[in-house]
Amino acid sequence: MDLFLQTLVNGILIGGILICLTIGFQLTFGVLHVIDFAVGGWTMLGGYTAYWLVTLAGIDPFISIFLVFALFLLIGRGLGPLIYHVRTSRYARPDLMALAFTFGIFLFMRGGALWLWSYNSRSVESVLSGQFLTLGPVTIPLLRLSAFLMALAFSLGLFILLYRSRFGMAVRALAQNRDHAGLMGVDVKRVSAWVYGIYTGLTASAGVLIATIYSVNPTVGIRYTLFAFFVAVLAGLGSVGGVLVAGLILGLLEAYVATYIGARYSLLIVFGTLYLALLVAPKGVLGRGI
Amino acid sequence: MSHKFSRRKFLRNSLLGTGAMTLGFPALNVQAAEHKVRCGVVTSLSGANRFGGNLTRRGYDLWAEEINKLGGIEIAGKRYPVEMFYGDAQSQPASGADAAERLIIQDEVDVLFGPYTSGVTLAVQPISAKYRVPMISGSAESPNVWLAKPPFNFGMIPAVDLTTDKSMVVLADNLGDRAKTASVIGVDEPFSKETAEGFRKGVEESGLELLSYELFPANSDLSAIVSKLKAADPDIVAVGGHESVFINFVNTAKALNYKPKALIMHYGVTSAAFINETGKESHGILGVAVWTAGLPYKDELFGTASDYSDLSFSRWGTRPDYTEAACSASGLVLQDAARRLGKAPPWNQETRVQLTEAIEDTDIETFYGPVAFAKEGSHFHNNTKPVPAVVQIKDGDVVPVAPENASKGELVYPIPGAS
Repeated sequence: MDLFLQTLVNGILIGGILICLTIGFQLTFGVLHVIDFAVGGWTMLGGYTAYWLVTLAGIDPFISIFLVFALFLLIGRGLGPLIYHVRTSRYARPDLMALAFTFGIFLFMRGGALWLWSYNSRSVESVLSGQFLTLGPVTIPLLRLSAFLMALAFSLGLFILLYRSRFGMAVRALAQNRDHAGLMGVDVKRVSAWVYGIYTGLTASAGVLIATIYSVNPTVGIRYTLFAFFVAVLAGLGSVGGVLVAGLILGLLEAYVATYIGARYSLLIVFGTLYLALLVAPKGVLGRGI
Repeated sequence: MSHKFSRRKFLRNSLLGTGAMTLGFPALNVQAAEHKVRCGVVTSLSGANRFGGNLTRRGYDLWAEEINKLGGIEIAGKRYPVEMFYGDAQSQPASGADAAERLIIQDEVDVLFGPYTSGVTLAVQPISAKYRVPMISGSAESPNVWLAKPPFNFGMIPAVDLTTDKSMVVLADNLGDRAKTASVIGVDEPFSKETAEGFRKGVEESGLELLSYELFPANSDLSAIVSKLKAADPDIVAVGGHESVFINFVNTAKALNYKPKALIMHYGVTSAAFINETGKESHGILGVAVWTAGLPYKDELFGTASDYSDLSFSRWGTRPDYTEAACSASGLVLQDAARRLGKAPPWNQETRVQLTEAIEDTDIETFYGPVAFAKEGSHFHNNTKPVPAVVQIKDGDVVPVAPENASKGELVYPIPGAS
């Protein structure tokens, strides 16, 4: 029973990490209709930036996360018009062009990380590293708990932004129909660029937490790209609300399979579940995806 | 304009030609006397494995520099300098094979020194066999490298299944009654899986009770695995994987308030990067090393293992690990085989086959330890002689703790603060 409860906590906390990773990705898909292969790259760069800030300037990741958010918000905002241009170009299959373009960005990021930080894995130390809460037989790592809380904060913040602000209204209008939104006076290009900036900011911030929990090296990006894609598919592409449920489902599934069936089968079962989900509920767990 | 034959011109040109030949002859003669042993190094100088690749290059280069200080390899009473040529495998097996072919055809190398990774080594083996060029590998630890019985390839480091197996036996012997149970985990990928299987074999051979054996995908979250280990509480936990997995394991275990009584890992655990990144948490962690500077081995070129370590440090600025040492010792193997062969370079195909046979008969003692290649079985052409040392990280230093002849400190068990 102790192990069962610990697994429950482990699963929920893994879910928190997955939610952090995916929520921005989902937003950018909903608005820009871009499957951003660079999601893992933004995560990795967020982690490395936190690593630099903690080793060079002694800034704890829980403070630097705000700096990382601001920095990557601006970088994403700068890159946004280019992504928008590629996605809306008149060439054949701009969706595939955008996919290839973001994959190119990802490769560039990985090469740059190898050049700047070398191949070795880097640990990002925080005041919460190795700290835990004990509740009876269950140990709750504080770093993972904070990632979970951050996931909730990200989600809440996004909902407030989307449903309680004029900008959010424009974003929702854009997600529903880009042409109509433009005709109603929404500056489509500008809003899209800001959405991309919010996505890169959120994802890089998630990268700070993930690097603090695990470690960071130039090759981790592809892993996070895959996981973000899994969660997004189960959530229903474009459904921000579905991410919360899908992240928790996949986190719990991974934890329980690893504990009671065998860790080597966890990815197999996750893939199987995704396949079934696509068959049974192609619009995602909440039925709100595309 | 017509050219007329002139007897005077003919005589003048003939005289000048004869003079030039006479003057040039000693130079030609000297060139013949200065034949070099052309050595090709195929390794990853770029790409994901470039750090490991450059370690191998350092090892090979250090040998070349030292032997050239003496005038080169001694063959039949004369010394022949060594010239090194490099082929970048770019961390890709196919590129490694291309680089090896270029070295053999364009640079006309007499012998190859092998790549850093097992994957590239497997890709280069057919090239070395096709052109009958012997290849001595100072890295490549996967047992798969030797399964196909490569006729021209020789490996200096015992395959990982042998080292992990022996190290677990050594550790269990040292702990005696203090350790009765063990759990083995490993990443489900070729090298790491073989490491884990070696640990499992060692657990079975040493009479320990195997509580669990589990493989997991490379990118798994380790919280479930750590929670299970914490619940089972084995006396020894062995991990098969690479440095990043070790770091993640240590971080996850710490976050879940679990510290095994003994934690043994393999390659990478003794690297400065691992110790830096895990900080105080690395204290007490055990590793496996085929070679350390404290071992009582020596040879004529490098002196003792400790002398080699100092030399490498003065040349490169960092202490060598066993991969660098094995690469330098690869040169010693070539030296010894060429001396026994007794034929001056350049070596044609027939001579290279004879050189390969001479390498096969190697039985020498070096600063790296004993070298002799298996002539049959599943570890064909692998140097199975070295006995791995169990090392323990103590306040950031890597200290050999077992077996007794290599020990420089006491094995700390259980790790301070163990659960």
